[in-house]
Amino acid sequence: MASSEEPRGGPPAAIEDTGPGVSRRSFLKSVGVTGVVAGVVAEAAPTAQAPAPAAVGPGEVSIALTINGAKRTLKVEPRVTLLDALRNRLDITGLKRVCDRGTCGACTAVVDGRTAYTCSMLAIEAQGKDIRTIEGLTDGTVLHPIQQAILEHDGTMCGFCTPGFVMSAVGLLQKNPTPTAEQAREALDGNICRCGTYNRLLDAVLQVKGGSRG
Amino acid sequence: MADRQVPEVKAPAAPTQHAKYPWPEPATTQLISKPHTRLDGALKLSGHAKYSYDVNRPGLLYGRILRSPHPHARVVSVDLSDAQKAPGVKAALAIVQPGGKVMYQGDEVAAVAAATEEQARDALRLIKVQYDVLAHIATETLALRPDAPAVFEGGNIKEGNTDETGDLDAGFKAAAEIVEATYQTQVQTHVCLETHGCVCEWEGDKLTAWVSTQAVHGTREGFAESLQIPQANIRVICEYMGGGFGSKFGPDVQGVVCAKLAKAAGGAVKLMLDRKEEHLAAGNRPSSVSKIKAGVAADGMLTAFDGESYGTGGASAGAGFPLPYIYTFPNRRRRHRDVFTNAGPARAMRAPGHPQGCFATELLMDELADKVRMDPVEFRIKNLPAEAPNRMWRKYFPIAAEKFGWSKRHATGDPTPGPIKRGMGCAANQWGGGGRGTKAHVEIHSDGGVVVRCGTQDIGTGTRTIIAIAAAETLGLPYTSIKTEIGDSLYPFSGGSGGSTTSASVMPAIRVTTGKAFDALAARVASSMGVQPVSLVARDGRVFVKDTPSKGVTWKEACRMLGTEPVSVDGEWEAGLSASGTSGVQFAEVQVDIETGVTRVDRVVCVQDCGLVMNPLTTETQIHGGIIMGVNWALFENRILDRNTGQMVNPNMEWYMLGGMSDIPKIDVVLMNQPERGVIGIGEPPTISTAAAIANAVANAIGVRVRSLPLSPDRVLAALAAQQKAGGTL
Repeated sequence: MASSEEPRGGPPAAIEDTGPGVSRRSFLKSVGVTGVVAGVVAEAAPTAQAPAPAAVGPGEVSIALTINGAKRTLKVEPRVTLLDALRNRLDITGLKRVCDRGTCGACTAVVDGRTAYTCSMLAIEAQGKDIRTIEGLTDGTVLHPIQQAILEHDGTMCGFCTPGFVMSAVGLLQKNPTPTAEQAREALDGNICRCGTYNRLLDAVLQVKGGSRG
Repeated sequence: MADRQVPEVKAPAAPTQHAKYPWPEPATTQLISKPHTRLDGALKLSGHAKYSYDVNRPGLLYGRILRSPHPHARVVSVDLSDAQKAPGVKAALAIVQPGGKVMYQGDEVAAVAAATEEQARDALRLIKVQYDVLAHIATETLALRPDAPAVFEGGNIKEGNTDETGDLDAGFKAAAEIVEATYQTQVQTHVCLETHGCVCEWEGDKLTAWVSTQAVHGTREGFAESLQIPQANIRVICEYMGGGFGSKFGPDVQGVVCAKLAKAAGGAVKLMLDRKEEHLAAGNRPSSVSKIKAGVAADGMLTAFDGESYGTGGASAGAGFPLPYIYTFPNRRRRHRDVFTNAGPARAMRAPGHPQGCFATELLMDELADKVRMDPVEFRIKNLPAEAPNRMWRKYFPIAAEKFGWSKRHATGDPTPGPIKRGMGCAANQWGGGGRGTKAHVEIHSDGGVVVRCGTQDIGTGTRTIIAIAAAETLGLPYTSIKTEIGDSLYPFSGGSGGSTTSASVMPAIRVTTGKAFDALAARVASSMGVQPVSLVARDGRVFVKDTPSKGVTWKEACRMLGTEPVSVDGEWEAGLSASGTSGVQFAEVQVDIETGVTRVDRVVCVQDCGLVMNPLTTETQIHGGIIMGVNWALFENRILDRNTGQMVNPNMEWYMLGGMSDIPKIDVVLMNQPERGVIGIGEPPTISTAAAIANAVANAIGVRVRSLPLSPDRVLAALAAQQKAGGTL
């Protein structure tokens, strides 16, 4: 089961202290009111390796995205978010659009090994990146250990927040395979559940401990 | 981890069961009342569950609604011509006709459908609307002013009945102590993570609608009425849905608009609200203000209650709530008024009215208990109505107090030095529920397959799973082998999933219909087995003569005897398998930082019943959910309308706050099984008393009562400052 400790094919993760990994409230406090959305976009899109996109648009442009290891080409207007490109253009709908402004985490994917709010990243900026969505986590019908643990602890109700929580938990366990309850809470603070599955989710994450059951 | 023990309650006056297919004896169940994981859990966890929001049809168009920026205006004209010419636009329509009114910010005005969502948004900006802006009312206080402009013709107030019982004057004369106080709760929005909306597609005159709904049949009826087409021409599908909490029972304006756009555009249209629209126009729990005077005798018996209340459900009525709640005031009077404001209309929200009534009454109870220097639990027990199967608080308070460690509670005001003050509080709840009318269809195939069809829906509560449990228990099969087909108006009728009625309505129908299906199977295979049909039972994957397991065949062998024609039976809800009426209590422990005003709920203990427990795992999860929604209402949620502009200042999820993982208390659930009562729903009750228990715990911690929600830091600090200024304690 060692290979299932990471998203398949993904590099060992280096989760930065931005995006969903950081406590929502402390994050809001640290960046102030007006900088929230801009802050997430800027922080979640490191430009070190990716070529800076040339001035494009406003009409549709052709782009290529690498999603769960497969290359997909599509046409989008430059203003289209990665989330909307996945859901509306590619019919990859596991990530959900809930707040659409970087608060709730339902759209969380792992991008270049870091958890990212895909509602707050432009599709054109995601080119050349390794995009891992919830759909890439399950091996056929075999659930990832974190998915299995959440199933057993009944950590889903309506299930709309669930894929985001799973991806955040995967991000956490890659960075820290043996989180304390406090660390797990903080790492999952960027995700919101309305039905109230938090306690079940926390129990599941603490049981999995980095992908090995125990 | 929740307490998994399921102690049985011997309820007096248990209803007698006359059902032909009664539930099995509690000691003999194979699946019922045992914990089972969700049938659809893996699909939800892997992102493969298709919600209405996820349905992408070939050539799908995107619909968007233009909404009023004004809280109150008359629409003079709507000009769609530029929008119709915009790139990608396939259809546009006016929702309000010239002369019509918009009643709140976010009221629907016009709509477009375009090839992409971005084009639809662009086109909305090209719609020219001329408004005659009218005076508006943003708050209850403004609405109640004598010179206030009218929200509706006929005024801003809808008078309710005044209820009066006993002799109020005599009651107050008998009182040794009197409390006069005002309790307030805020407007809460549902914040369903999947917003309201649907995908509509026409084929000729037939409409298929994938709707995020709590009622596939009710939504079909709503479409038929609004579109003036036969129900027979409409199919409503909701396989998975991302939360409703009482706000999703019909197509709503956006559903009807979506269907009209799809018809006009000649293609499938998806129209899902965005988060701002959701806050503004998709329903809310009304506010409440309760001005109460109440008396208590020296011996701790309540004597009198005189309450005046009002609340606003925005541009609609429905702000009523039960008051006083649960406890017996022998002499009482209560007057209520609904106050209209220019805000989004209220809708049913998880236990409509009860949290408001519970909050006011339970805070009052603690204040009265302090006046007569009694322990709040003892004081409550003294003033409860007589015990009944649906009124078991007298038993539950001591169970919860013991589990919680109530004996360690200090008197009001934590004497511990330093800024962190700890406190404990409690509150009770009740709910009716019940349910009837569900129909179901069951097929048993010659390959051993079992299909259960029922036009109910799983709104996240685990309905799909308990249908399989009830069917599998009856047929002696693993619950994972049952193919459960729900969420489609083509399936047999079931009502909306609301009011905690789903389980009580659906479970009997499944038990009866699967029972009939097995009888039909037995009738067709018994002669081949050389036995009488009535002698056969199904258990452990076998069909055999009762008490003689060796005399039988496997389930598959029995089904093979059916040949080509499957067993195919219809059945429906029957009396005797479900009931209504639940009760519960909750205890909360909080810590309050009196320097910052920040409250944190450390733990909640809940004792709750809901009749025969089908699946304790999902039931406890649902109870967690109710408690967490109560924590959110107590501490964070608040729909804030600017009093000058009538605009919502926090129509999002960062300033309309919901708790995250770090804000959630440890929760212990003690689930009281009452198998003799049959099935009862659990959706509403656990959210009712959480906020009241928390508010009482805050008062116990800081020695000052905060009588209005949410218990935000500013309110806590203001209450502490006011108390300091007054120079007193409680």
